Amino acid sequence: MIGMKIKSAIPRPALSVSGIILACYVLAAVAAPLLAPQNPYDPLQIFGWEASSPPGSMGSGGYRYLLGTDGLGRDIASGILYGLRISLVVSLSGTIIAAVIGLSAGVAAAYFGKWVDIIIMRLVDLQLSLPTMLVALIAIVTLGPGIDRIILALIIVQWAVFARIARGVALSEAGKSYMDAASLLRLPSYRVIFRHLLPNSIAPAITLMPVEIGHAIALEATLSFLGLGVPIDKPSLGSMVASGFQYLLTGQYWISFFPGLALFGLIACINFVGEDVRRRLDPRGSSL
Amino acid sequence: MTNVILGRFLQAFLLLLVMSLIGFIGIHSAGNPVYNIVNVETASAEDIREATIALGLDQPLWVQYVRFLENVGTGNFGTSYIYHLPAFGLLLSKLPATFELAFLAMLPAAPIGTGLGLLAGRHPGSILDGLILRSSVFALSIPSFWLSMMLILLGAIFTGWFPSGGRGETLSFLGQNWSFLTLDGLRHLALPVLALAIPNIALIARLARSGTVEVERLDFTRFCRAKGLSPSRILFRHTLPNISIPIVTIVGLQFGGMLAFAVVVESIFAWPGIGKLLIDSIQLLDRPVVMATLTFVSAVFVLLNALVDITYSILDPRVRVSV
Repeated sequence: MIGMKIKSAIPRPALSVSGIILACYVLAAVAAPLLAPQNPYDPLQIFGWEASSPPGSMGSGGYRYLLGTDGLGRDIASGILYGLRISLVVSLSGTIIAAVIGLSAGVAAAYFGKWVDIIIMRLVDLQLSLPTMLVALIAIVTLGPGIDRIILALIIVQWAVFARIARGVALSEAGKSYMDAASLLRLPSYRVIFRHLLPNSIAPAITLMPVEIGHAIALEATLSFLGLGVPIDKPSLGSMVASGFQYLLTGQYWISFFPGLALFGLIACINFVGEDVRRRLDPRGSSL
Repeated sequence: MTNVILGRFLQAFLLLLVMSLIGFIGIHSAGNPVYNIVNVETASAEDIREATIALGLDQPLWVQYVRFLENVGTGNFGTSYIYHLPAFGLLLSKLPATFELAFLAMLPAAPIGTGLGLLAGRHPGSILDGLILRSSVFALSIPSFWLSMMLILLGAIFTGWFPSGGRGETLSFLGQNWSFLTLDGLRHLALPVLALAIPNIALIARLARSGTVEVERLDFTRFCRAKGLSPSRILFRHTLPNISIPIVTIVGLQFGGMLAFAVVVESIFAWPGIGKLLIDSIQLLDRPVVMATLTFVSAVFVLLNALVDITYSILDPRVRVSV
């Protein structure tokens, strides 16, 4: 039953262009060390005198800088491939952990009710009433910069959405007869929650995942752009765009343009796939 | 009714208290601001100790927080470590710039977005609908910092039509300086306004579209059609009022959001507003200014939400129970 719901939610890739491009993105990120001509983290492979070379110029390493080099002489194409890894790892892990925490919290709120419900849902209300950027900024100001902190900030920002959705579904599931059966069998509450309630409340949260991953990528990029995200020596796509800002004003557009384009494409593909998923589950097409 | 309003405001006040506590502890653990004030290389241990006492940082954390709360109550967030001006006054002096930017961005975004949404929702599934939906996904996917930089690249560097940053010439009006009153100021406004307006147009268009699709299916629009009313009259006289409440809500919330979220656009276009002040202060560890800004923005949001809830409960009695 639950398996069917999820299967029908995943768009058939043969039909969706955005799905194919998204798969290419993921493959490119996984195979980055094989595809990239240069390892941007290895100072021995970087030639400082070739800083901000325009796209297509020949490098000393015996390969062409297809998309040019940045202000430190790093190949932009390689940087994008490696930056993609960081962007994807940070946002995926942030969203997945947030989903797990949010789902558990939401289901627990619905199952226990009373003060557990009140505390959890008040927290959720507090967070959802504020813009995500503000919550993220407060979190980053509190936690300080660094990759692990960014993931933590993404978790703090995102768990509330999952909690609210899961609680709604779990409340309607709690009235069903299999839950009566579970409580008549006197199963311990952790077993009821994790073996019965949670698996049956998971489907709407799955449809939320693509959108939230898209948000997470954009948010991580924005924080990195503002200099509050990942450290500068391991650039994500957002911090690559940021590092090109000062060169933009003198016309060296490629340092910001190409990483930003890659980021834009990635977020757009995820959003289209997410739209597809929702349209299949909500045939009226009325949801936002 | 009075109870509902009082209760909602009490709740809002408690939320603010919790948030100020979290923010205060957070910024306290972010780093020691003394090292930003004294010159680390030349200062003696004595200098550092004196600076710490002067800033009140030698007191226990809770004493600092209570002192902070007392000051907030009297509108005093302390003095900026960097500018040596009262933090709240500094914030207020940046408010007109941000307000002007957000207002001018929302001014075209609301009608354009609503218009596009009505157009798309009138014939769901048509080519036009698909085009508008697809473009809105693209518009919402562009990272705002990249959009701003590309606007600078196109509008300022390649063509030279618009300046790449700053506020330009300002004119004093009501005791504040405004850019939109001068031609040069308007040229400076064009690009940042566009950067803020594009995602808002897309968001409002999607909301208006889904509302239109829902309403056009209802009996009363079918009745209007049967009565022989023209499609444009149905759209503007009957559909539009029925989808306006969520649109007005999102316009209000997005406007509030721009006061906070203009962070990115403001720092790229060197627009001297609240967002740029916040980011600069975070990086300089200017604690009073960061606290003043975060508290202010949060307060605006909590109050905005409370007002929306109360307006709903006045308009719709069914909501009163759950507030």
